[in-house]
Amino acid sequence: MRHLPIAASTTTEAHDAQPPLTPDKNIVEAPAAKPTRDAFATSIHEYLALVAVKDWGGAEPSERLNAVSVALRRTIAQRLVETERRYADRGAKRLYYLSMEFLMGRSLANNLGNLGVTSEVSREVRALGDDLARLEELEQDAALGNGGLGRLAACFLDSLATLGMPGFGYGINYEFGLFRQSIDDGFQSEQPDQWFADRCPWLIERPAEAVMVPVYGRVEAGVDRQGEHNPMWLEWRHLIGVPAEMPIVGFGGRTVNTLRLFSARSSDQFDMAIFNGGDYLRAVEQKIASETVSKVLYPSNAVAPGRELRLVQEYFLVACAMRDIVRRYKKSGGEMSTFAAKVAIQLNDTHPALMVAELMRLLVDEEGLRWETAWDITVATLGYTNHTLLPEALERWSVDLLRHVLPRHLELIFEINRRFLDHLEVNGIASGEGLAPYSVIEEGPTPQVRMAHLAIIGSHSVNGVAALHTKLLQERVVPQFAALWPERFNNKTNGVTPRRWLLHCNPALAALLTELVGEGWPTELEQLRRLETHADATDVLSRLAVIKRANKERLATLAYDTTGLRIDPASLFDVQIKRIHEYKRQLLNVLHIIHRYVAIINGGETPLVPRTFIFAGKAAPGYFMAKRIIKLITSVGDLVNRDPRSREWLRVVFLPDYRVTLAERIVPAADLSEQISTAGKEASGTGNMKLGLNGALTVGTLDGANVEMLEEVGADNIFIFGLSAAKVAQTLEHYQPLTVVDNDVRVGEVIRFLQSAALPDSKLFAPLVDKLLSPFDEYVHLADLPAFIDIQGHIDQEYLRPAGWQRKALLNIARLGKFSSDRTVQEYATDVWGISVIA
Amino acid sequence: MRVEDRCEGGVLVLTIKERRLDARSAPELKAKVNALIAQGFGWIVLDLAEVEFVDSSGLGAIVSGLKQLDQKGDLVISGASEPVVNLFKLTRMDKVFRLFPATAEAVHALDARVHRG
Repeated sequence: MRHLPIAASTTTEAHDAQPPLTPDKNIVEAPAAKPTRDAFATSIHEYLALVAVKDWGGAEPSERLNAVSVALRRTIAQRLVETERRYADRGAKRLYYLSMEFLMGRSLANNLGNLGVTSEVSREVRALGDDLARLEELEQDAALGNGGLGRLAACFLDSLATLGMPGFGYGINYEFGLFRQSIDDGFQSEQPDQWFADRCPWLIERPAEAVMVPVYGRVEAGVDRQGEHNPMWLEWRHLIGVPAEMPIVGFGGRTVNTLRLFSARSSDQFDMAIFNGGDYLRAVEQKIASETVSKVLYPSNAVAPGRELRLVQEYFLVACAMRDIVRRYKKSGGEMSTFAAKVAIQLNDTHPALMVAELMRLLVDEEGLRWETAWDITVATLGYTNHTLLPEALERWSVDLLRHVLPRHLELIFEINRRFLDHLEVNGIASGEGLAPYSVIEEGPTPQVRMAHLAIIGSHSVNGVAALHTKLLQERVVPQFAALWPERFNNKTNGVTPRRWLLHCNPALAALLTELVGEGWPTELEQLRRLETHADATDVLSRLAVIKRANKERLATLAYDTTGLRIDPASLFDVQIKRIHEYKRQLLNVLHIIHRYVAIINGGETPLVPRTFIFAGKAAPGYFMAKRIIKLITSVGDLVNRDPRSREWLRVVFLPDYRVTLAERIVPAADLSEQISTAGKEASGTGNMKLGLNGALTVGTLDGANVEMLEEVGADNIFIFGLSAAKVAQTLEHYQPLTVVDNDVRVGEVIRFLQSAALPDSKLFAPLVDKLLSPFDEYVHLADLPAFIDIQGHIDQEYLRPAGWQRKALLNIARLGKFSSDRTVQEYATDVWGISVIA
Repeated sequence: MRVEDRCEGGVLVLTIKERRLDARSAPELKAKVNALIAQGFGWIVLDLAEVEFVDSSGLGAIVSGLKQLDQKGDLVISGASEPVVNLFKLTRMDKVFRLFPATAEAVHALDARVHRG
C-alpha cells in the first residue's frame, strides 16, 4: 500500500509571518490554526517532488488533485491531533457509530468548504495555472454504501464533527464499493467500482494498530483450573484487520473526528504450513480468501440468506471495532466496570448486531466479569437503530452457519436467549409457546438467529428513523418488545447535513440565504425560518427562480453530456432519485408518464406544462423486477422523447450511475421531488429532505418522513396523495387491481398500452404488468394511480403560476430546518449516547 | 523449530526460540512436549518470551501437552507478551493455563508444588 506523507506542522514562527488562508464567509468559528499560503503551496510542490517525482507543469491532473488534497491534509492532520487532545484532556465519553456502509462521496470540496478555505485554495490553484473545480471533478466518490442508510451515517459524522462531539465511525474499507452503473440498450449493466483506497489521499493507514480476528473453529467444553466448565475456542482461522482513518472535518474546522475503516489481510503473506508443504497455489488461495472479506460491498437486496461471506464481513467489522475501542479505552486508564460511562456504541441497523455477543464475550471470557455485570455493561453501552419495516430485510442467520463461523458467539447467543426467556417466565410475562415471539432463535426445520431480537434485547435504546416508522415498528414489527420495554423505544427522525446538501452543492442559493437570514443557518438550520418574512417579496422569489433556472441549465448540460439527450430547462424538472425498488414505486411514476403520453396520442390532449422526468438510481444486480423497471423507464423514454407529438411536452431521462456526486448536481435543479413509496414501507427517506431544502416541492405519500415534512411546511406547500399506511393494509385484505382498471378509464388505458405493442420490446414488461394486476401486489400501484394522476394535474396548474410556485419553494426551504442531521445527532446525544459538546 | 530445554530443580523449562508459534512450528512443538512427558517430565514451564505471534495451531499444541499430562503434573506459561496473553484470554485458555510474567516466578511456583508432592 502506498503511503502519502503528512508534511510537518505549519505553525512555525516563520510560517506565521505569512498571510493566512482567510476563511470564507459562513464560517462561524475561526479555525484553531490556519494554513499559510506559502506553506500550502510548498506542500503541493513537496508532494509532487517526493511522491509523483514531477513538478506542477509535468504532473497529471490526478496527481495535481492528490497534491492539493495532501496539502490540505496537513492542516487537517494538525486539527485532528488537537481534537484528540481536547477530548482526552476532558476525559470525554465517546460515541462509536458502527455501520456496514458509509456513503461518503467526494471529500475535497467538502473539506475545503468546512475548513472555510475554498476561495483561497481556488486562487492558489489558479495561480499555479489550473482550475480547482476541474480538479475536484476528478475525485472519485467513496461509494462504500448502497443508499440512505450509508448516506445517513456519513451525514451523522459530519454533524458530530460540526457540533464538536466525540463521535467516530467504524466501517469496512471495501476495495470495491457499490458497482458502477451504465445503461446499455436500456438495460442496467454493472461494472466493478474499485475506488483505489490505497491511493486515496484522505485515508491515513494505521498498520501499527492492526488487530487479530479469529473466525471459524470449534468450542471444546473443557474445565478450568478449578474444575469448572470452561468452553475453549479452538482451531480458528484468523484475519488481520488493518485500520485506515478518514478525517471528518467539522464545519468551521475546529473539530476533526475520524472514520476508521478496516481492511482484511491474511495473517502473514501465506499460510506457512501450506506453503512449506509445497502447495503454493493453496497458500495463495488462502491468502486471497482472507483478503476477500473486505473485497466488496454487498448490494442491498442481494444478500441471499445464508451468504457466509457477508456474515464474516459483519463479524469482521464488529470484532475490529471492539478491539480498537477497548484498546483506546484502556489506554486512557479506564476500568471495564465503568466502560459504559465512557463508551457508547450505536448499531446502524442489525448488520453489526453481533456486537451484543462480541461485547459479552470480551467482558466474560477475556475480562473475567460475572455474567450479570457484563450484561448490564453491554446493555448500557449499546443502542440499536432499526431501518426497515420490510420483513424480508430483517436479518436472520441460520444456527448452523453461525455455529460454523462463530461457534463461541453462538453459545453466548444461546445463553443470552436462555436467560432472557427465563426472565420472561419467572416474571409471568410469557411461557411455553408464548415465548416463541420473543426468542432470539426462530425454531423450524432450519433454526434461525433473529438479529433484530438480539439487538433489541442487548441494547438500552431502540429507535426508528421517522415518527411513522417508529410507530409502525412498535405496532407491527416487534410489538412484543415494545410492550415489554416501552422505555427503550424512541424515535429519531433522520436528517441531512446542510453543509454538503445546501451550502456546498447549491452555492448560489446558499449565498442568497445568507444574505437574507444571516450567516448562522449552516449550523442552525432553524434560522431559515426567518426567510418566511420574504415569502411575498417578488424580488426574492424572482431571484429564487433565477437560481433554480441556472441549476437546471447546469443539469441539462450534464444530462446531454452523459446521455446525449437535450432537455429543456424551462420545463418542469420532475425528479425521482433513489435506489430502484418496487416499494419506492418508480413504476408508479412511469405509469403516470404513460398516462400523459396516451392522453396526448389518443386523446389529443395538450398538457398544461412541459415536463422532464428525471430518474437516477441503481437496482441490485440480482433484483429482476427492479432491473426490469429501469428498462421500462428507458423504453418509455425512447418512445416519448422521439415521438414528435409528445416530445415537446414529455422528456424522460435516466441519468446513469447514481451516486453522491450526481445527487449533488440533481438536487439543486429539481422542481418536483417524487417521494411516492407505498405508505408503510419507507422508513424515513432523506432524499425528500435534501430536495425540499433546495426548493423542490414534494409530491408524496404519507410515508416515512414525508409525514413530518407535511407537518412542517403545511398542507398548502406539499402535494400529498394516496393511501395511508392503515388504508394500504386494509386494501390488501381484498385487493382487486382489475376493479381499478375497470373503474378508471385512465388506468385502463395505461394497462392496455403496456399490454400492446406500443413499446417495441413490450413482452419484456409482462412480469411488471402481471404484478400490477395481481391481488398480491403489496405495493398497491394501481390503487394509488388515480390519485397520483389527479395530483399531478393539480401540480401542473400550480406550476403555471410561477410566483405561487416559488413562494411554496421558499416556504419549504424556510420550514425544513428540523431535518438537519445536527438536530438528529443532538437528540441521539442527549437521549441515547450521553455525549456532550467538547468545546 | 528451535526449543531450548533445561531443568531447574524438578521443573523442566522449555524456551521457544521462534517469533511465531503457528501451523509451521506447532506440530514439532507438540511432538517434543509429548515426548518429554512420555519420558516422565510432569512439571513444565513453557517460556514464550520470544514469541510474538501464536495462532490456533500453536495453542492447540500447548493444549495437547496439558491433556497428555492428564493431571499428573502441570504445564504453565511464562513471559508471554501482551498480544499472546490476549489470545489466551480470547480463547478462555487463561483459565486453564496459569500465566506468569517471568520464568523464575513460574519455576518457583511449580517447584513448590513438586516438593509438596
